Formats: sequence, structure tokens, C-alpha cells
Amino acid sequence: MRTFLLKRLPSGLLVLVLASFLIFLILRLIPGDPATALAGPDASPATLAAVRDRLGLDQPLPGQYLHWLGGVLGGDLGPSYAIGGRVSDLIGNGIAATVQLTLGALLLVVLLALPLAVAGATTRRRPVAAAVRALTTAVLAVPPFVTGVLLVLVLAVTLGLLPAGGHESLLDAPDLAVQYLAMPALCLALPSAAVVARHLEDGLRRALAEDYVRTATALGVSRRRIVWQHALPNALPSAVTVLGLQVGQLIAGAVVVERIFAWPGLGQLIEQGVVRRDYPVVQDLLLLVVACYVAVQLLTDLAYTWLDPRVRWE
Amino acid sequence: MNTVLRVDDLTVAFDGSTAVDGVGFELAAGDTLGIVGESGSGKSTTALALLRMLPPGGRITAGSVELAGRDLAALPEEELRAVRGRRIAMIFQDPMSSLNPVLTVGRQLDEALRAHGSRPRAERAARAAELLDLVGIPDAAGRLRDHPHQFSGGQRQRIMIALALAHDAEVLVADEPTTALDPTVQRQILRLLTRINRETGTALVVISHDLGVIAHTCRRLLVMRGGRVVERGDTADVLGTPRHPYTRELLAAVPRLDEPSAAAANSTPGATPLLTVSGLGKTYGSRRRSVTALHGVDLTLHPGETLGLVGESGSGKSTLARALVGAHQPSAGRIRFRGEEAGRAPHREIQMVFQDPYSSLNPRMTVGRIIAEPLIAHRLGDRERRAARVAELLTQVGLDPSAADRHPRAFSGGQRQRIGIARALAPEPSVLICDEPVSALDVSVQAQVIELLARLQRELGLAVLFIAHDLAVVRRVSHRIAVMHRGRIVETGPADRVVTAPEHPYTAELLAAVPALDAARPTTRSTA
Amino acid sequence: MTITAPALRTARPRGRHRHLSALLTWRGLTGLALVGVTGLAGLLAPLLTGLDPNAQSALALAGPSARHPFGTDDLGRDVLSRVLHGVGTDLTIILTAVPIGAALGCAAALLAATSRWADLAVQRGFDLLLAFPGLILGLAVTAVLGPGRWPVVIVIALVEIPGFGRQLRAGILVQREREYALAARVGGSSRARVLLRHVVPNAVDPLIVQTALALSLGVFIEGALSFLGLGVRPPEPTLGSILSQSVAYLSTDPTFAAAPLAATTALVLGFTLIAEALNRGIRR
Repeated sequence: MRTFLLKRLPSGLLVLVLASFLIFLILRLIPGDPATALAGPDASPATLAAVRDRLGLDQPLPGQYLHWLGGVLGGDLGPSYAIGGRVSDLIGNGIAATVQLTLGALLLVVLLALPLAVAGATTRRRPVAAAVRALTTAVLAVPPFVTGVLLVLVLAVTLGLLPAGGHESLLDAPDLAVQYLAMPALCLALPSAAVVARHLEDGLRRALAEDYVRTATALGVSRRRIVWQHALPNALPSAVTVLGLQVGQLIAGAVVVERIFAWPGLGQLIEQGVVRRDYPVVQDLLLLVVACYVAVQLLTDLAYTWLDPRVRWE
Repeated sequence: MNTVLRVDDLTVAFDGSTAVDGVGFELAAGDTLGIVGESGSGKSTTALALLRMLPPGGRITAGSVELAGRDLAALPEEELRAVRGRRIAMIFQDPMSSLNPVLTVGRQLDEALRAHGSRPRAERAARAAELLDLVGIPDAAGRLRDHPHQFSGGQRQRIMIALALAHDAEVLVADEPTTALDPTVQRQILRLLTRINRETGTALVVISHDLGVIAHTCRRLLVMRGGRVVERGDTADVLGTPRHPYTRELLAAVPRLDEPSAAAANSTPGATPLLTVSGLGKTYGSRRRSVTALHGVDLTLHPGETLGLVGESGSGKSTLARALVGAHQPSAGRIRFRGEEAGRAPHREIQMVFQDPYSSLNPRMTVGRIIAEPLIAHRLGDRERRAARVAELLTQVGLDPSAADRHPRAFSGGQRQRIGIARALAPEPSVLICDEPVSALDVSVQAQVIELLARLQRELGLAVLFIAHDLAVVRRVSHRIAVMHRGRIVETGPADRVVTAPEHPYTAELLAAVPALDAARPTTRSTA
Repeated sequence: MTITAPALRTARPRGRHRHLSALLTWRGLTGLALVGVTGLAGLLAPLLTGLDPNAQSALALAGPSARHPFGTDDLGRDVLSRVLHGVGTDLTIILTAVPIGAALGCAAALLAATSRWADLAVQRGFDLLLAFPGLILGLAVTAVLGPGRWPVVIVIALVEIPGFGRQLRAGILVQREREYALAARVGGSSRARVLLRHVVPNAVDPLIVQTALALSLGVFIEGALSFLGLGVRPPEPTLGSILSQSVAYLSTDPTFAAAPLAATTALVLGFTLIAEALNRGIRR
């Protein structure tokens, strides 16, 4: 465990530091000057200078970078340029909603992928396997933003089962909150669930063709136990790796899904930031995404070593 | 005689083609039966058909497998499950892939135990430890929580046997139980099987390509070829006076340890050494966790000489071979070729023949391209001259020149090995390093490839380093033999002397482990 | 160690023929037909419809008619013409971006094969790219360059790099350990020759599948960027932009969405089916 952290943590931190460089530099490469963008094209040189001074844009780049990094580590992200308010507050307002959305989606991914994969890999009836294949193919073939709109159309407009959009705090009204969460989370989860289900199904098929399954069969172990107790533990590690990569896709997909369902989260915030060229907001949110990704990868690796004893002992 | 297993007219078809054709035999309680045959003889399919565990596409089309009065070939799946592992159990060839890598050994034993009958957890755990102890795993109770990769190859096969013993089955089917193991470990496993047969009265069916293995474990013997039984009888009788021509052929092809070396008839080694290895060392891994594969190896190879190198897996044979051809950089010592420093990079005059005729040929290239590659690499000849040379080489190794246009997959194992030899000969080497060149081949094919190598040595005066684990083969082809153990050469000497009067105890141990054919006096009890 | 029973390894069909025969299954043929028909329609758009995709008219959100077989959009433009031209734009974008991304990814993988340090550097590079998942990378790039056609191409190319690169790197690592690679080295081939002539040809199979998947991913990314208003600038039609326009009218004028949805789904489904067919063919 300790050797594992010693081996993996440095490369994760390296990615994080490199990403912070990249984010900072790229946003400084923008043609035009943020001060002009902020103060408007007609602003006087004096106003521009004042804006620059206020935002620290007149300092040399390394100084600006260190200032930013210091702020991030100290929890003070400074003021936003265009949206208004402090970046920390903006992120603080949206983060709970986005975490709810992505975690809800992640839960759905697991709940959908596992039974689908097991059904697809173990059924002896060809129609069942074909149906699972067709379902995952269909989900993968329709863009998520179309799936979202179709869900709204069917579940909200036509059937009236769920609200079409909006958000309710999980603490104040849990039942309403879940109703609001259901559709966006499902929309976000579907493509990833299809990807994970496919990988897991492939892994299970491969595991079921292995010699140790033949051994278990020769010992009289039941088919059910062979699938769940012998083959699945072998198929899980690589499926977990795929799941880890899908968390990145969930975070990215949240931007679109929040737009469709008017979900007041960080996705809306970053979109606003990009459209209105509010660089502190974009910069901090990008860093947050990278940090999440790095953390998830570490957790994935940790889960892998826990699931596969061969790696554990190396 | 109390018959436990009666197989009658068993016929298995794979997508229309017959793999097993009307096989029948009877097995009495506590009896031992060997099934021997080369690849494609249907022996393993027969074994799997006994438990009706044929791979996809395979089907029992006729016959019956009667165990304790019930026909397993016709039993419904759920009733069959209740029989598998409880009344008839099976041991497979490769103990690494046949054990579940992510489950502990205790858990796998527990799965076997709970598959039939419901005993409380504590009782099952105790029984699991008892089983491990029975098959000779030290500190059995403590090792239940370990995973398969934490055991050696021989121990894994012991664990496989423990799994099969979980319910005191009446019949134990062992499919190539020792094929993946070293000779000394093989001997231990065969002894274990024999002991179990004697102590528990379990009837034993051993499937093997190796007549020696059968001779050591089984009272009776079936010889299979092309899905049919061509000869059957008491092991000693069949081996002593084979009646079927195929059995005779098979017996003649098996290299015998007591046959003297035939190398002197091929060539007389030159006086000045061609290849000199001194103090060669190789260490793998980081500074903290290093593994030393070679410890100060000294070796000389003369022109026209065959030096046999024997040792078990992990002894450093392959590492040495790779260092000699310049594929691995040694960490210490030096390699001199014709008195000049070599071994830092591949040398035109030192070529190699590989063990696995499947993975050592590039599947994407035609045979002609494969053989021409060394010529292109060494810029030998133009396109036309290379084509002519490829044709010449193919003829030299006994293949038709038209083979050049086809891909390796169109050839059998033995033919592929000939292609590998032709490739090695292409740049006109004077030293051939052969790393287990025949161990993946059937005995009859083995004999042909050995004959080819001998002929090439006669014609070309090659110096050959012949690496193998099979002492009988090595004695036959070598002028001298070097024995390798844990990265060191423990003994070197004239081939016949090393075999008949070994000086090092390890050599003696290796020799004792060879399951010789004439020792065909099975130690198993005959009939209960 | 002895390995017996080589007879169990069945002969695989020939390299190139394998891919061809994979495409000649019902999956492959359906996929080819979907992509072929949609792509051809997009290419021949000027011949198939005489209407200017950007010509507005007073006839907004009209249903299907003889003049407008799929109706008109909210600005009175012909939906069929826009969708056909949109297919053309999409295909141009992804057929530019995916090969660029594939080439960069493969080049990085080859670089990684040269030394341990290069391998570490390339791996961290892939990690770095993967740390900005799909759309997030799109947001970062458009934040710098602003919306437009080239930013979309750049985003798609960047997103595809690690997919191709990691596949090829993994393939090279596996194939390099096979004995035929050692045999080539012993035969005197240089390291570069062993890598390029022996190892890589055996490691590229998964990349063919990856290409088909990458093309469908390209359609998705273009669509999502357009949906967020960060894609190709209007009024130039793309599948994504037409779809995202139509989505607003889905409950009142569902016919508007029919044509762009059908075209997008046909393209993506086609690529997915081709990828699946190839994947099965390779594994066989």
C-alpha cells in the first residue's frame, strides 16, 4: 500500500503540475487582452491600466502563475472577471449540484452495466445476447444531447412522470431532489454504462473461456457460482480501469447535461466562463477537473491492486 | 473385479469431423490406465468427453460413459454437475492457467468442497488444510490464504490434485499432469499420484504424450492414433512386445537415456575453440530487488562440435542463449568469437533456433520473407540472389521451395521448426544456438528434426549449442554435455561420461528423474 | 518446458482478407451501407438539392412539402439542404481531424518505443491529455481560439491522440516480447527495422477498430460543441448545429429534428457497426 502510493502519487502530482502550467499558459496566449475584453473596447487607457492593476495582469508571467497557484492552495481563487463575485463562491455554489449529478450517474453506470454485461456474457439464448448488443449499440449511436432531449420528451412532456428540469437540494427535500436528479443522471450515465457494459461483457466472456473455469466445472461448481464467484473477479479489474476513464467522460458530459436540464452546476459555470471569457473561472475549473481526474485515476489504480492480487505482491 | 468406469464405443465429433472414434475401455476400482498418443490423436478429447466437458463445437455422437451404473453421456446437465468432482475428478495440464489467479487457494478448495454437500465453514476450512497437507504442501493451514502465483509450478499442480481429491472420487482423470513441469518435479508429482492411488483406492486414468510417464504410473495402456485405439494391453507387455506398427514406430522414436551418443559419427570437433565464454554474469531488475540469472559461466565451443546444455526451468539456460546471440547485454564477463570480443550486438556467424515454432515466425510475413530477412539485414545479395538462396535453404531443410510463398500458419509444427532452422542458416553462420528446438514437437517429429540438425552439422561443419531439458535427447546429439543449475554450470564432460558416471550430485538427481521406459514396472497396486 | 497440443491452435485466415471478410458480415455490410449512403448524399449535396442551405425565407418551421421534403427550420431554411451540407461539413472535419490525431498518437507511441525515458515522457503526455476529458478539452481550446471550424478540428484531433497512442503502445509492448521479434534481432535486423517491419505490422490491428470508433466520437464532439454554441460558426450548417436548433422545437415541431437525427444516427451507427465487425474479425 505504501509502496503503491510512493510509486503512483508522484506521477499523479506531476500530471497535475504540468496541467496547471498548461492551463495558465494557454489562457495567456489568447489573442487580445482580458482587460480589453472586460472593460469594453471603448475603455480609456487609464481604465485599462486600472483593470490590469486590479487583476495583477501587469506583473510578469511567473509572478502571475505563482500568485494564482498560491491562491489555489490557500483556498482564495480571487475575483471573477465577467460573471461577478468571487470565484470560490461561484464554485462553492455549483459544486454540490455537479457532484450529486456525477455521483448519481456513476451509481447508475454500475447498476446498469453489471446486469447487462452478465446477461450478455452468460446467456445461452441468442436473442438475449443480441438484445443486449443492440441496446448498447443504440445507446452508443445516439449523441447524449439527443438522448437527453428524447428523455425529456418522453418522460416529462408526454408521460409527465418526472420534472423536465431544475434542481432541489438533497437536504431540504430528498424525494423531490431524487426526482429532479433521475433524468439528468440517467442521460449522463447511459453512454458510459454502454461502454462499461461492453468491456465487462468482453472480459467475462474471456474469463469464462479460461482454464480455471474448466477446472471449476470439472469440480462440479454450479454455473451461477462460476459466473459470479470465479469469472467476475477476474473480469472486474480491467472493467474498473475503464470505469475510471469514464468518470472523466461523466465530468465532461455534465456540461451538456446541465445545459439540457437547467441543472445549476459547475458545467453551466464553465460554459458561462468560456462564452464570457472569464478566465479566472475557466482556469480554476479546468484545474479542478484535472485534479478530479488525477484523484480518480489514483483510486482506480488502488482498486485494481486490491482486486488483482498478482499486482499487489509485485 | 469391481468395474467403476465402463466406456463403450465413445465417439466425439467437432463440427462434423470425428476426433474420437469408438473408444472403449473398462476401469476397475483402484486400477490404473494410461492413454498415450501424439498431438491430434484424440487422447485429451477422450479425457474431456469422460466428464462431458468438450470445448464448444464438440459433441458426443455415440457411445456411453458408464460410471457406477449411470451413463454420463446421457445425463441431464444438473445431475452431471453432481457427479463431476464428487465421483469422477480431473487434473489438467497447465497448473498456472488452471487455477483461478485472483482467488486464494483456500477459497478454491472451499468452492470445491461446497459444490457437493453442505458442511459448516469451519469444517470445510479444516478439510481444506487437510487436503493441502495430503498433497504435500508444507505449512498447509498457513498457506490457505495465499494466491496461486505465490506457489511454485510443482506446488500448483499439487494444489490441482488437492482440488480433485476433495470428495474422494472413485475415478481421477489426469490430462498431461506433468507436461509443463521439470523432470525432478515431474517425478514427485507422479509419485504423489501413485501414492494417492495406493492409499485411497482411487482409480487413475493418465493421459500423456510421454510413454515414460505412463510406464511409471499405469498398469494398463491404450495407444491412440487418429481418434482410435490402435493397441491396448498391460503396460509391460505393450512396451516389451508392441504388436501394432504405430506403437513400434512410437517406441523407436523415443530417445533412450541408455543409448550412447551418436555425435562422434557426425563430425569431429576442431582443436581451437570457436566461441569462448568466461565469467559470464547476468543480473536483472533494480539494485534493490535484483535477480541473478547467470553466475560466472565459463564455456567453450569448438568448430563442428555439439555441446548439450541441460538444466531445469529457471536454471539460466535461455538467458545464456540470449546473451550469446547478443540479444541481452551480460552484466559481467565476456564472450569471445574467433578470439575477438563479441556478444555486444548480434553477430552474423552466431544464429539461433527457437523453441516455439509458432511464436518465433512472424505471422504477417511469407516464409520466403522470413528466411530472407537476415540476408536483407546483412546486405547479402540482391533480390534475385536472395530468392535463389531461400529456395536452396528450403531444399536443404527438407521443404519444397514453393513453401516460400506461403505464410507460416500453413505449416505444421515440425515444418515450422524447419523454417526456423532455414532462417538461422541463411547468413551462413558457424555457430547455431538451439534453445529447446524439439521440446514443443511430437516424438516422431522430434526424431526428424534431430536428424536434420545432425545432417546439417555433417554438411556444414556447424558448432551447435543444443539447449534442452531432456537428457536422453541431449546425450544422443552431443559430443559434450554441460549441466546448468541456478545460473551456474555445475558439470561439463563428454556426453556418455556425464550420463553414465555423473560427478555432481545435481546431475545424478536429474538422471534419476528421467522416467525411463525399461523401468516399466508400475509401483501402483494392480487390482483391489 | 514442453508445450504440446499445438493442433488446438486453429489457423487464422489471412491478414488482409481477415478485415475484408469481417466487413462482409451483416454487421459490416450494414455499417458500410449506412456510412456510404449518408456520406455520398453529403458529398453530392449540391446535385441532390438545388436549394441554398443558408437561404432564409418567411416559411419558418414548415412541415414536409414537395419543395421542402423535410420541412424548414426556424429561419425558414430548407432542412434537407442543410442536413446534406451538414453531413459534408461533418465529414470534412472528422476526416481531417481523426487522421491528424491518429498520426500524432502513433508517432508518440513509436517514440515511446525507443527508450525508457521517452516512454515515461509519452505516457505522462497521454495522461495530461486524458486529464482534460473530451468536451472539457473542447471548452479549453475554444476559450483560447474562440468558436470556429479549426478549433473543432483541433479539439477532435487532440482527443483522439491518447486513444490511438495507448493502443499502439500496448500492442508494441506485447508484440516486442514475442519470439519472432527476437529472431529478427538475432538475424541482424536493426532495432528500428525490427520495430517498423516486424513489430508494428503485428500491432496495428486494434488501430483499425479504433479508427472506426474515433470517427463516431468525432461526430459526437462536433455535435456537443455546436450544442453549446462553441462549434462551427453559424450560418454554416453542421449536423450538431441543426440538431441543437431543432431540439428547442422538439415538442412542438418534431419533424424538424427527424432529418438531422437520422443522418447523425446513421453515421455514428454505421461507424460503430463497422468497428464491431472488424473487432470480431480480428478476434476470430
